[in-house]
Amino acid sequence: MTVLSLFSFPFVALILSLWSSSAFASSDYHEHLLLHPLPQSSLLASFNFRSNTSQQSFDQQHFRYLPRALGQILQHAHTKELHLRFTTGRWDAESWGPRPWNGSKEGGTGVELWAWIDAPGNEEAFAKWITLTQSLSGLFCASLNFVDSTRTTRPVVSFEPAGDHSAADQLHLLHGTLPGEVVCTENLTPFLKLLPCKGKAGISSLFDGHKLFDAAWQSMSVDIQPVCSADGECVVQIEQTVDMVLDIDRSKRSRSNPIPRPVPNEQLVCDTSKTYNSDDTCYPLEKTNDKAWSLTEIFGRSLSGVCPLTDFDGSSDQSVCLRVPHERGVFISEEAEEIKKEDGFTRCFKLAPSVPFDLSIPQQPVNTEVPLDEPVLHAERTIVGHGQERGGMRIIFGNPSNTSAVDFIYFESLPWFLRPYIHTLHATITGHDGVLREVPASEIVKETYYRPAIDRERGTQLELALSVPAASTVTLTYDFEKAILRYTEYPPDANRGFNVAPAVIRIVDTAHDAPIYIRSTSLLLQLPTPDFSMPYNVIILTSTVIALAFGTIFNILVRRIVTLDEAAALGAQTLKGRILGKFVAIRDRLRGKDTKVE
Amino acid sequence: MTTKTGEDSPQASASQLDQPSVKPPPPPESPAALQTRFRVITAFWAVIIFLGFPIWWKTTSIYRASLPIEEMVDWADGKACRPVFPLEIHLATPSMQSLEAQNLLRTTQHTLDDLNEFAAHHLRLKLTDGSTAAHNGEESAEGLKYLAEDTADTALTVRLLPQEGLAAPRSELHAATTQLDIFYPPNQVPVPSSSNSPLSAFIAAELQRLYSEEKATIAYILSGNTAGLDSTSPQLAEEIDRRLRRSMKYAETYHLSFSLFTPGSEPSSWDIEAAVNEYVSPLLQAFSPISNFTVDTQVQLYANFAPTAPKPEYDETEAAWTLKKEGLSAFVNAAEWPLNPSIGSGPTINFILYVPDPSQSPLIVKENRASSWIVPQWGGVFLLNPPLSHTDNQGGPSNPAHLSQDSLRPAFMTFSHQLLTLLGTPSTPASLPLRLQTSIRIRAASLLLSASSTMGSLARLTESLPSIPIPATVATSVATTLSHLSSSCAHLREGRFGAALASARVAETEAERSFFEKSMVGQVYFPDEHKVAVYLPLLGPIGVPLVVGLLKELKRIAARRKAKGAAS
Repeated sequence: MTVLSLFSFPFVALILSLWSSSAFASSDYHEHLLLHPLPQSSLLASFNFRSNTSQQSFDQQHFRYLPRALGQILQHAHTKELHLRFTTGRWDAESWGPRPWNGSKEGGTGVELWAWIDAPGNEEAFAKWITLTQSLSGLFCASLNFVDSTRTTRPVVSFEPAGDHSAADQLHLLHGTLPGEVVCTENLTPFLKLLPCKGKAGISSLFDGHKLFDAAWQSMSVDIQPVCSADGECVVQIEQTVDMVLDIDRSKRSRSNPIPRPVPNEQLVCDTSKTYNSDDTCYPLEKTNDKAWSLTEIFGRSLSGVCPLTDFDGSSDQSVCLRVPHERGVFISEEAEEIKKEDGFTRCFKLAPSVPFDLSIPQQPVNTEVPLDEPVLHAERTIVGHGQERGGMRIIFGNPSNTSAVDFIYFESLPWFLRPYIHTLHATITGHDGVLREVPASEIVKETYYRPAIDRERGTQLELALSVPAASTVTLTYDFEKAILRYTEYPPDANRGFNVAPAVIRIVDTAHDAPIYIRSTSLLLQLPTPDFSMPYNVIILTSTVIALAFGTIFNILVRRIVTLDEAAALGAQTLKGRILGKFVAIRDRLRGKDTKVE
Repeated sequence: MTTKTGEDSPQASASQLDQPSVKPPPPPESPAALQTRFRVITAFWAVIIFLGFPIWWKTTSIYRASLPIEEMVDWADGKACRPVFPLEIHLATPSMQSLEAQNLLRTTQHTLDDLNEFAAHHLRLKLTDGSTAAHNGEESAEGLKYLAEDTADTALTVRLLPQEGLAAPRSELHAATTQLDIFYPPNQVPVPSSSNSPLSAFIAAELQRLYSEEKATIAYILSGNTAGLDSTSPQLAEEIDRRLRRSMKYAETYHLSFSLFTPGSEPSSWDIEAAVNEYVSPLLQAFSPISNFTVDTQVQLYANFAPTAPKPEYDETEAAWTLKKEGLSAFVNAAEWPLNPSIGSGPTINFILYVPDPSQSPLIVKENRASSWIVPQWGGVFLLNPPLSHTDNQGGPSNPAHLSQDSLRPAFMTFSHQLLTLLGTPSTPASLPLRLQTSIRIRAASLLLSASSTMGSLARLTESLPSIPIPATVATSVATTLSHLSSSCAHLREGRFGAALASARVAETEAERSFFEKSMVGQVYFPDEHKVAVYLPLLGPIGVPLVVGLLKELKRIAARRKAKGAAS
């Protein structure tokens, strides 16, 4: 125990000192960009903007760094802590390694929002939550106003407040997702407006909607939370991040001519040892060179100076960092200054104010690579089953570690029209030996928090505390039933399917200070979809049958029944009968003539 | 049937054609059969009329609460209430005999009534002794206590003070209270017998002058924004018209938003807290009986002009960058500058402090060298040209990084002035409490009119659209509005303007609520063609036999009647 505490103390102290230095830097505004080339010619660009406002001026509505629109929304909705995420694409954990910020700054595909709201009761909290979503919807041009009671959950163990809240607040955590929301430029523009330098100076000048939303994966986040120092002085901190993984080749294509072209023959590197290698047949070799790129090529524009609100002393002036091995050659603009860090892979740049900055990396053979950590957990979630009524969910967790088990919380919120049967929850384990074993779910699942759905009112909320043993893969499955919706509840594109929000996995790891978050991909659920002209057909068919039956009965009741002869006699007397009789007579005469001619 | 057999063989048809004349017609139906048929048809139609029709009517009708349409139209037409503004003015004569004072009061009132040409607004003089008058004056200056009391509000206290060595009377208005001091030579006290005196004429003229703008404004509002009083000078009429068009709509709460905009990165901070406390808060305090205010501020850097806005031009003679007057409307870049209204009910008044780029400093308006202007019903703009510092070695002069409270002083003085204008406060008289009182009366009058006209519009709307539902809440709101309108009118008549404003405020809120009731507009649209298309397969085959059966039966009954009549 003592050994452990002695060992862990320096680490905690380091984390604490890092934290305090970042949270209470001399400047109230701080921005940072990290460029990190990833395997498969990808580039991770991770932007971070952080600013503080004192609690007092926040309460008095004197806004300087904190955007006024956002601040007023928070005050109006009594929101103490807010987390908003806009994400598109998929993080390829197998080739890119662990997620940036340990996944804490990303959301599931679409829009994800969670907030701690100060309210005396659950209903008041929900009313404020609706106010919050409506206001944010207007501010960010997103469909957040569609986060209604069916899309709102109250997770118990999956999230914990990151800020320092006073004990007097009665905080309620509400969480909402919009997995079908398409994140696009109209969300980036309001996001940029929230920044003090508005994309005109500093690293935010690199943002271009065309490049950002062309990325293989991108995530924008807004976090607002109160942060208090030890002496009780509190600030409201807003942190905005944009993370994106760009494909270098794709980004370098010019906007005017974006069609990819095959590599010219003379530039192909062929494996000449293959027997079939000839002038017209080539087996391309694994790439031996890192791609050449520069900021202007990748982002379409250069970085225009620094945002003057950041202070120029200490570490915060090194606002751009690059993670490549030190022997890699990097060309930078003249006025900038390069500082290499001791870890051998990071270098940061001190930019000159109000002078454009560019950075270019020439093509160079790969000798050393920046080591990528192995993700702590692999997770995969799919819908299985067939038919219109029954379906199933399959979640696969893989623990790559050979030594330690992974404990985590698995959280999913399901729409009400997907009705899970929790009693069908089964677990199978594939160990080191590759043998599949069926185990009771209780062996894997430590705790369950489950709130069943109510039709059209709320969705299912399921939180499982799981543990996956070392070097094994756990597969969880459960069955569900697909509900049939009412005619008007189907969206216009009903046959596309319904989005099911991604699951959130929170790994409680003792080695890390903050929890690690992983989100699965979102799912598409096919519901039984009716033929939408059906109601009209039914109405018309039913009406016809009723009319037929009614007409027959009514006629029998009111008609007079006579013999055939009598009918003829009656018929001849009426106007109709007489006209008919004459008509027949004329026809007969005509026919008689015809026969005479013959 | 017969035709079909006829087609088969011509002979048969020929024989059949002859047959009808041979075959005897069937015997007439028995009365029992006729009666049964009559009963069947009656029963079917009875079900349709007494069961089907009411159910259809009940399920498809829309709920329309009954509204007092006539009363509402009366209010809109101004028949229900003629707003009057009797102002009570206290005359304090500490150094006069009671009889003399009475006489002075009578003659002054007489002169006043002669001078007044607008009957709805009149001044009533009342005698008080000096001590209470002073007390009253202080009290109204402190908090403008206007809450519903039995007594009328005191609009003004006139103190008559004798002063030796004066040739003619002289008046002095206290800027911070509602008190008018009139100094007069002691020999000008009117003798009881005379009906006229220079002193009373002077007092009357003085009062008339104090309230001339208010009178003109109220006349302008009551006459429906067309013509005011005959005596109003065209300049004053134009001024009133301009002010009323510029001023914000009345609201219970206004959000004031002060924004610092600059196209560069400096200045990025200002002593806003101190400036607001120093220059704005006292004014808001004075306005608190009329409206509530919230204040928020923001700093916005890199705020550029809209690309379509006219660029400032350098004027050699002025040695300054100038903006053209007609281009000022495009000055505020509404698309990019974050000037969204504050959350919560009530309008937002925006005040923009714009610090131009050092390369475009100083910036002024070309025509009149002004540095501020009002955007009607929206807010105000002030161009602040701080002294440039040349300390920076590169890149020329720069703006200061921080704006101190002193440098904000001219801007906030202008903002206070703009706020008064935007809130519709008249420019005369000089005393702020008097102007606020005037503004209470103007607001009460305009709210009364606007709520009344909303009632009229609602009445017209419900009459012209018979298919919109009228929920019960609308009826309640209308009742509340009407009762508050009449109480407001009564308060006005008795001179309790504060209470009148409070009632008019409620009336206006309720009127707006009833007019903008959501369930009235949100009706599901089912066009009649749609219904017919869906239900024709049902209604057609059922309706045709029913109608034909009914017609035949009616024909039979008519024929029988005729036969009976002929027989008898």
